[in-house]
Amino acid sequence: MGDGGTTYSGVNPNAVWLNSRGIWLSYVIAVTILHLILLSIPFLNVAQAWTLTNVVHNIGNYIFLHMLKGTPWETNWDQGKSRLLTHWEQIDFGEQFTTTRKFLFLAPVILFILASFYTKYDPLHFVFNLSTMLLVLIPKLPQLHGVRIFGINKY
Amino acid sequence: MVLGGENTLSGSAPTANGHVKESNGFIQHSNGHVPHYKDDKIKKMSQESFEPVPLLVACLTYLGYGMLVLFGYFRDFLRKSGVETTHSTIERKKMKDFVPLYQSFESFYTRNLYTRIRDCWNRPICSVPSAEFDVSERVSDDGNWHLRLTGKSRRCVNLGSYNYLGFAENTGPCADAAAKALQQYGAGVCSTRQELGNYRIHEELEQTTARFLGVEDAVTFGMGFATNSMNIPALMGGKGCLILSDELNHASLVLGARLCSTVIKVFKHNDIEDVERKLREAIINGQPRTHRAWRKILIIVEGIYSMEGSIIKLPDLIRLKKKYGAYLYLDEAHSIGALGETGRGVTEYWGVDPRDVDIMMGTFTKSFGAAGGYIAGSKRLINHLRAYSHSTTYACSMAAPVAQQVISSMKIIMGEDGTNRGQLRIKQLAANSKYFRQRLVEMGFIVYGNDDSPIVPVLLYMPAKIAAFSRELYQQNVGVVVVGFPATPLVESRARFCLSAAHTREMLDKVLDAISDVGDRLQLKYSLNPPTKAASAEECYKQVDSLAHEA
Repeated sequence: MGDGGTTYSGVNPNAVWLNSRGIWLSYVIAVTILHLILLSIPFLNVAQAWTLTNVVHNIGNYIFLHMLKGTPWETNWDQGKSRLLTHWEQIDFGEQFTTTRKFLFLAPVILFILASFYTKYDPLHFVFNLSTMLLVLIPKLPQLHGVRIFGINKY
Repeated sequence: MVLGGENTLSGSAPTANGHVKESNGFIQHSNGHVPHYKDDKIKKMSQESFEPVPLLVACLTYLGYGMLVLFGYFRDFLRKSGVETTHSTIERKKMKDFVPLYQSFESFYTRNLYTRIRDCWNRPICSVPSAEFDVSERVSDDGNWHLRLTGKSRRCVNLGSYNYLGFAENTGPCADAAAKALQQYGAGVCSTRQELGNYRIHEELEQTTARFLGVEDAVTFGMGFATNSMNIPALMGGKGCLILSDELNHASLVLGARLCSTVIKVFKHNDIEDVERKLREAIINGQPRTHRAWRKILIIVEGIYSMEGSIIKLPDLIRLKKKYGAYLYLDEAHSIGALGETGRGVTEYWGVDPRDVDIMMGTFTKSFGAAGGYIAGSKRLINHLRAYSHSTTYACSMAAPVAQQVISSMKIIMGEDGTNRGQLRIKQLAANSKYFRQRLVEMGFIVYGNDDSPIVPVLLYMPAKIAAFSRELYQQNVGVVVVGFPATPLVESRARFCLSAAHTREMLDKVLDAISDVGDRLQLKYSLNPPTKAASAEECYKQVDSLAHEA
């Protein structure tokens, strides 16, 4: 941890830490814990709990992967290039269709399918589930790599 | 982090963490690479182990970091809304319409993770860093934002200094010779090597270094980091060159490589098949747009990697470099003096001719108790560096007492002072490393690296345990160095022990008891390997005792 900000050989850790061992399992466990917490709230029924899990997961996914830019540590080796990139764009140094990206793309889809099933395909729940899923899947498309619509979140 | 490559010899592809399921039992939890040694005089590969993180531990580590991040956001919110006082630097009120100097997100990690356990690093030391040293105590009233000295100090066993042969002393023949050199030459040099800073003692140092390493000539510099960063540009000038660099190379090598206008390709740590693949691709495809042949290709590796304790597979690299016509740059910062029968470094360890390595670099900071670095090789290479290196042209040369310290310690190691104290130190270090590592493995810790390396990294994994380990051992009067993310991969935080010839067996036993006690209380004994019976202390120290009786 040295001076609290340097890494070895100048590699952006944000690009590689999602490839570490046990991340997928931890991700699933975290979503399960979130779901169990929501299920324990007494005034929510099962359908609402599932929709809320899906929505909260997607909003968290959006904020951490597509809204926050840069890194939580100093990057003195790349002259600030990663400061303008969201975490999703930094993964695997911008290489598309890697295993991590595929996993992060599939997670909202699987949650959507589960939520649709458990809400018995109710139209109102469907609107919420679909809209948040699209919110979180569209930025992950390779065509939108580095794209900032209307200049939002550019700097 | 060791990533698995293709294991073509045993026919089974390793899983992502490098563990090979069906092997012939020869490799235990290594990166799956089975070497092909055709030459008889090349030593058989020592056991290197990088046991992968147990899955439960990994999940708990991520959970730990997740909690820290959530609390970090919460505390930031409290600071922003004024409930909690902000101790870090903030922009002045009248500059609020200017573009901010710092992004507060970039210091998130420092503010919310590093500062909370900041007292484990930068501890002031108030004695010479030999086998035992005095560490000043510090206290903080505001959660480590401000640390103040209490005036007291603790006498701790030193397991963090790079003092491999125990030359960090302020008494003895080396210190006396350095004091005499100080009287004769003064403290400073006040000039660069090419102007008026070339003393006779520098020439004697370079000749001694060349004799020590078994090469034609050597050139020395005042700073070890600058030796790499200033000389790689002098060697790789001009376009059309390629550098192949190990992924875990030190920052000085990375900086030196970046200061040249070359293409840099990074290969997986210690993975000879990856080097070969990248060499072949580079030679076949040529330079990136024009596809012309490369002017030269340089492979940059280290002898011992200080974060992993792994030793480079030198015979394979030399075979590769001869086959494809590349050059080899070997940074022996940690291995010179620490490996080999007579301390000549990683070339002697593998039984390889030092003239096969084109550029041998090393530092005097670790095993010789001094400061500075050297580059050694053929006379043509060294003459070129003497003329073209940025360091000889612009940087002041090594101070005379420091140079004298290196000369005296080198002569002791070579046995030229007429005693066998050098040999005794080398054997003591080898025995200490072997004993310490085997005892730790026997206790059940996950230890990385090669069995012969004097660097012993013990994996801690979880962020809170980094701090707890360091503080608990400090309370028990053991000083250790701990490292975490982002200096290491996210999951693999570790404590790095550096053994020294100055440590005695009794000291190490006391330290091992303390480590075992802390390991039990913090539940650090993660290893899933079956418990091995380590060699007893008597076996490890047999050679040392016989040498000590001779002296």
